[in-house]
Amino acid sequence: MATRSQTAAVLLAGALALAACGSGGGSPAPAAQGGAKTLVIDTSFDLKTADPGRTYEPTGLIVGKAVYETLLTFEGGDVTKPVPALAESYELSEDGKVLTLKLKSGATFADGAPLTADDVVFSLTRVRDMKGTPSFLLDGVEVAKTDDTTITLTSKSPNPALPFILPNPALGVINSKLAQQHGATTNPQDKAEQWLNGSSAGSGPYTIESFNVSSQVTLKANPKYYGTKPAYDKVVIRNVEAATQKLNVQRGDSQVALNLSGDQVNGMPATLQVKKVPSANVIFLLANQDSGVSKTTPNAKFVEAVRKGVDYAGLLELAGAGSTQAPGVIPSQLLGALPADQAAKRDVEGAKAALAASGVSSPTVKLEYPSELTVNGLSFQPLAERIQANLKEVGITVDLQPAPVTTALDNYRNGKEEMGLWYWGPDYPDPSDYLAFLPGKTVGLRAGWKAGAAKEIEAAGDKAATAIGDDARRQAYADVQTKLNASGPFIPLIQPGQNIVTAASVTGLEYHPVWTVDVADLGAK
Amino acid sequence: MRRLRLPEAWRQPLAVVGGVIALVWLVVAVAAPLLAPHDPLAQDLPRLAPPGPGHWFGTDQLGRDILSRVMHGARVSIPLTLALVALSVLIGGLLGACAGYFGRWVDETIMRVADLVFAFPTVILAMVVAAALGASLTNAVLAVLVVAWPAYARVTRGLVLGVREREFVLSGRLLGFSAWRSLRVDVLPNVTGPVLVLATLDIGTALLLLSGLSFLGLGAKPPSPEWGAMVASGVEVFDSWWVATFPGLAILTVVLAFNFLGDTLRDALDPRTARAIKERAL
Repeated sequence: MATRSQTAAVLLAGALALAACGSGGGSPAPAAQGGAKTLVIDTSFDLKTADPGRTYEPTGLIVGKAVYETLLTFEGGDVTKPVPALAESYELSEDGKVLTLKLKSGATFADGAPLTADDVVFSLTRVRDMKGTPSFLLDGVEVAKTDDTTITLTSKSPNPALPFILPNPALGVINSKLAQQHGATTNPQDKAEQWLNGSSAGSGPYTIESFNVSSQVTLKANPKYYGTKPAYDKVVIRNVEAATQKLNVQRGDSQVALNLSGDQVNGMPATLQVKKVPSANVIFLLANQDSGVSKTTPNAKFVEAVRKGVDYAGLLELAGAGSTQAPGVIPSQLLGALPADQAAKRDVEGAKAALAASGVSSPTVKLEYPSELTVNGLSFQPLAERIQANLKEVGITVDLQPAPVTTALDNYRNGKEEMGLWYWGPDYPDPSDYLAFLPGKTVGLRAGWKAGAAKEIEAAGDKAATAIGDDARRQAYADVQTKLNASGPFIPLIQPGQNIVTAASVTGLEYHPVWTVDVADLGAK
Repeated sequence: MRRLRLPEAWRQPLAVVGGVIALVWLVVAVAAPLLAPHDPLAQDLPRLAPPGPGHWFGTDQLGRDILSRVMHGARVSIPLTLALVALSVLIGGLLGACAGYFGRWVDETIMRVADLVFAFPTVILAMVVAAALGASLTNAVLAVLVVAWPAYARVTRGLVLGVREREFVLSGRLLGFSAWRSLRVDVLPNVTGPVLVLATLDIGTALLLLSGLSFLGLGAKPPSPEWGAMVASGVEVFDSWWVATFPGLAILTVVLAFNFLGDTLRDALDPRTARAIKERAL
């Protein structure tokens, strides 16, 4: 009896395994047919919707960028300067409160209807008032049209970040007449999401052919696109795990693999192109400033000892190709980032001296981090173990406290962690997003840093928030970060690399911090 | 001169293999600091180097020597597993003996609690307990203990029930032995054998469960070289097969060895069953 049921169990397990393989890798690789060019992109899906007004996930932004167009955009991977897209020019008023945009003529939607100022006003108002995930991007911004080709965006307080926010695919312009017929409204009662998941109401180079949030999205070139036609007639985006992505792209089953880690791209065959660039995610350590949480970490000299004790080069070694040290909390791609030479350096003797000066002898601190979270294929686990070994040399005992991300997030968000290892990715590529690290702000509070705790840094932050003009802003944000690095509770560590592997036939790929990759920019050879 | 000979059951090939492997692991566990070529925590070798001279099992993603870590892992896993099984035998055996000997409400209470534990899938219940207590190796041991004792309670109870009414026990009682003395002197020797077999066979299961909890992040805390946790970290770097394979092999060999030993022990203590199995196999 026992043997028979065991055999049955084995057979069942085998069948399950086969079934799992079938559903995972069984979707037929779309091949080029009749001269039509197809591009297959493999990525680990983080996708909820194709409704631009609700999109905030990396995969959703790839789709949104291809199907919808925004008023402004960025050229290639450069996020320091917004450039015209649907708007042919823009101007920010002296006080930074009014942004005036001129619409270009000739833009049309996928059904041939012209794109008007009314569509822009409807789309932006819808995003703001629908209270979806990206609604905060336009918090407190009034949208109005002054005439048929002019849009004004008015903010209550100076908002120099707005031109950097507008390129977000969540702010893509939808065909308001068509969408309204399918339930689109400018309030939380909006019912257009389901329709938008199956059809395109955009003016972008691609339209949605099929959309499944868990397995595959198929885009086909918009036949009525008014701009330059994209190189690929069809783009298939598939949900594939990183290890399988590697196999697929090596076999030629796919042309682009987006989520490989630094270790996985080592030793790729020469027939494939590997793009290794730093991502815009900054991994940092925080030392809680709340004396109710810890007696040790609020000590400024202790934080200095940690800052000098971490072996940054060693962390970069773990992160692999493409990664870079983060000189400040603002990632290197953004306006206002500190130059690389201002990054902290390891100084074991200095760290020991700082620890001696701190008055705490042989301290033990808890370091909490999400155990199963990966950023750009890099796991937090080895990073934490390396930091533990680094600080042991200095004389600080680190007690590692890994926890599942949901549990760990709770402590982090409530500011209960003695020390934490986390990352911050930009909500929009503008340094103002990083004011969250100041005392009394979102991330500051997570480090137990209450408003009024560091007057000088807060004053520098206020100045940066209202600075107008690229040079003035660059200066102001550099100043904030220099002060943060000198006495703040954060220790910026590294920006892990984003490794994108493409077939030799794919050209023009640029990693973008907001939408990862613009499929319409890709060429074929 | 007569050669010193092991009993028949211990001369079977599987018994020898099991015995040798278990012995090797016990030696490694005791002498790991002397045998290991590196400090198991030192991150000073090249990262993810394949097995080769200087690091025969390769290195992990932090540049630690896997051979040394596997060796030191034996110091973590094996003593804990043995202690765990010993505790389960003690607790389960004692409760089972009480249940069988005293019967009535004592029996009802203990066995219903055991049934309650049996009602849950072992791994899930252990995970729940470990998660509730917080992730640490001690808590993982407690969690496994919670799910492991009822098996012993059930077996012991059954055996005690069988022995309780036998003449020699009854006569002991009539001579005025206390319950405790009766259990210890008359009953205990008659139940030890089967419980010991069960315990030996269970060492493998317990190790597997303990490593499983660590694999899930509910047991050993990093950077402790625990086999389950090492397999978990190896899963992240699948291309470097050696990171997960060697600690996995360590778990496999220990589990196999104790299973072989358990089988042998059963054959040695109960030749009748052994013969029956052999005849059926023929």
